[in-house]
Amino acid sequence: MLPFIDEILRYDSLSIVGLEKNTGKTECLKYVLDRMPVQSKRIAVTSIGIDGETVDQVTRTQKPEIVLREGMYFGTSEMHYRQRRLVSELIDVSDENTSLGRVVTARALTGGKILLSGPSSAISLRRWMGEMRRLDIDLVIIDGALSRMSSASPAVSQSMILATGAAYSASMSTLVSKTSHVVDLVNLELTSEDNIRTLMPLEKGVWFIDNEGGLNSLEALTSLSKDIHFEGMEDCRTLYVAGALVDGFLEKVRKNKTLKQVELVVRDFTKIFVTPQQFRLFLKSGGRIRVLQRSKLIAVTVNPTSPSGYVLDSDTLCNKLSEAIQLPVYDLLKNKQ
Amino acid sequence: MQLKKVIESPCGLRFMLDELELQSGYARRWLLDSPMMTREGEITASYAVLRRFADFFNQVDPIHISTLTNKLCGLKDIHTTIKNLNQGSVLDDIELFEVKHLAILSTDVKKLLQQHGMDEVVEIPALDKVIDILDPDGMKIATFYIYDSYCAQLKDLRNQMRQHPDEQDDLLLQASELEEGVRKDLSRQLHPFATAIAQAQLALAQIDIYLAKAKQMKEMGLSFPSLSQDGTSQYQAMFHPQVKKALAGQGKQFQPVDIAFGHQPTLITGANMGGKTVVLKTLTLCQLLFQFGFGIPAAAAQIAVKDEIHFCIGDEQSVEKGLSSFAAEMKNIDAVIKASRENKKLLALIDEPARTTNPTEGAALVSSLLKVLSGRDMSLVMTTHYDIEPGEARCLRVKGFENGAMDYRLVEVQDGEVPHEALNIAESLGIDSEWISMARSQLENSPSSGKMDKH
Repeated sequence: MLPFIDEILRYDSLSIVGLEKNTGKTECLKYVLDRMPVQSKRIAVTSIGIDGETVDQVTRTQKPEIVLREGMYFGTSEMHYRQRRLVSELIDVSDENTSLGRVVTARALTGGKILLSGPSSAISLRRWMGEMRRLDIDLVIIDGALSRMSSASPAVSQSMILATGAAYSASMSTLVSKTSHVVDLVNLELTSEDNIRTLMPLEKGVWFIDNEGGLNSLEALTSLSKDIHFEGMEDCRTLYVAGALVDGFLEKVRKNKTLKQVELVVRDFTKIFVTPQQFRLFLKSGGRIRVLQRSKLIAVTVNPTSPSGYVLDSDTLCNKLSEAIQLPVYDLLKNKQ
Repeated sequence: MQLKKVIESPCGLRFMLDELELQSGYARRWLLDSPMMTREGEITASYAVLRRFADFFNQVDPIHISTLTNKLCGLKDIHTTIKNLNQGSVLDDIELFEVKHLAILSTDVKKLLQQHGMDEVVEIPALDKVIDILDPDGMKIATFYIYDSYCAQLKDLRNQMRQHPDEQDDLLLQASELEEGVRKDLSRQLHPFATAIAQAQLALAQIDIYLAKAKQMKEMGLSFPSLSQDGTSQYQAMFHPQVKKALAGQGKQFQPVDIAFGHQPTLITGANMGGKTVVLKTLTLCQLLFQFGFGIPAAAAQIAVKDEIHFCIGDEQSVEKGLSSFAAEMKNIDAVIKASRENKKLLALIDEPARTTNPTEGAALVSSLLKVLSGRDMSLVMTTHYDIEPGEARCLRVKGFENGAMDYRLVEVQDGEVPHEALNIAESLGIDSEWISMARSQLENSPSSGKMDKH
């Protein structure tokens, strides 16, 4: 058994996030599910975002169904529940509608195959996680698509595994640097508890907290807004961007003299859409970025094969990446053989 | 007229709905779809039930209330499933789950109400047989699948699946045929209960609504109205909950108002900022709350049932519809006049008609509107800024500016003469003194003391 299985069981939730399609996220999920102690622990699985086609619509490669084991709980859409290939007991049907129907929660009574397509909005994911707590689930596993279409974020889980690979970049050095950038983002530290309490409910807009702890709104809807300016913010202590953080905004903050000491806060790493260059420049100039929610990154998995058939050397990739990110890196397909 | 059609009325009905703590989305939808009650018997019956729930809410240990409301949280809208069942379709697992879930929920709620002698107030049909059908193992939990005990052969197949996972696909195919047979059989057994299931769903929604209304009554200090027999409506210490809350937020108090009106037109005059509009808003709100069976924001209220309620307020969103505010207002008032010819019981509340036009034509329009509507069998309450002959109308005036503070109470006056307090109020607001004193001296020098000539 690879070491990260033990570590996973120390947390109440795990998300598995693929940096690109075909980076082996589903393989990784399968690998984890096969090794869960279902006799002693209550395990629940779901997927955020619509991710249930048997064949990937973009690349036409095979997308395996998830094989659940007897006793596992799962959340999927009505449509995929009807197509299940296992015997299961229905526990809950949500009120919220997704494009594939409502989200159904059930328990597998036999092992078998299922397509997962669970809650797709931040609110419904939160409710579903709450429902799982009510059912005394020990570990919730989220198949976490990184999607701009979905507001549900995998960063709500306590722990995380990232899946990367040749599909993300076919050049080894680019793949290593792009992946380490994401790892840096995932590892961003949490802001203060006071800030988390104040800022968590704000789902849009740009805000700042002054020295007295007062919350102020910046008259801008998103950090994308062109005419954002930082006047009258001499006493700004914390600057919060609820939506996407982009290059232009980060540059403006960096170049603004009054914001030298400011702590920039985003919801979580999935909201950061800045280039590694801008990100590094910001940190170099003394800038700080913090998040409201983060997951403990347990490991990174790699799939050295790209959908076009290009294959990187697995061992070299694992070593180089591991060195760059200071975390264990596994090629699960290779380890299985 | 459904509740959802009037919820955006500028009288502030939405606030009451937003503050109503309903547990289920289904109850909210059902309430929004419910029609305004226009029959006395219907309204009396609805308040009789609400009174029982209000007593229950006030007397029972809050822990019982929260047990009940927690249950009601689980109420889901399954009308499509019930429709399918009623039409004799074969229900799928999700639909059967929904039926079982509702049956268990309604049975639990029924038991809770029985403990307090409330089960006869809103009757929930017994669905024990439905539970028996969908719970063959007697587990009494609201989960569902095609249980092994429905079919011995199915049980065998499933055991084989567990032992031979490699043959699963084939075994699943065989099992699915057996399962479909079970579903057919279950749907056939459940078919006769379709109506009872629908009634149970509705009863739970109603219980949710009555409980929420009872809670709102207590929290906002609302009262039970009595039904007026002679067509007059009377309110003692009437208030507007939303305005009251807003004022409380500023550390201010809402001054309650007493008012009564019948078939004789009522004209309210008074200074700017005198709260005339708030009186009309509150009257409209109270009438709607009454005809949708809510508690009334007043210490006591006696209200006459109406067929139609018209609230005409000048500054509506009409401009979005491409009409000028004057045109929109004229059309609204026109609708009142037309409706008044149709022999319906009407309540019209008109706020400062023709306010945006010039005083000469404005006064003429208001004075003639009063004459036109005076002869009709309707209740009319109108506010105005213009000095007009009241004719048959009864005149009320906002007491007004006294000792540096507004007194919002209404007093009966003999004519419709408007008080001239604009300058005093402007002064108290700290408006530029050069401007105000010039206006004052102009008034003093004019022969009619600033009043328009009455012809």
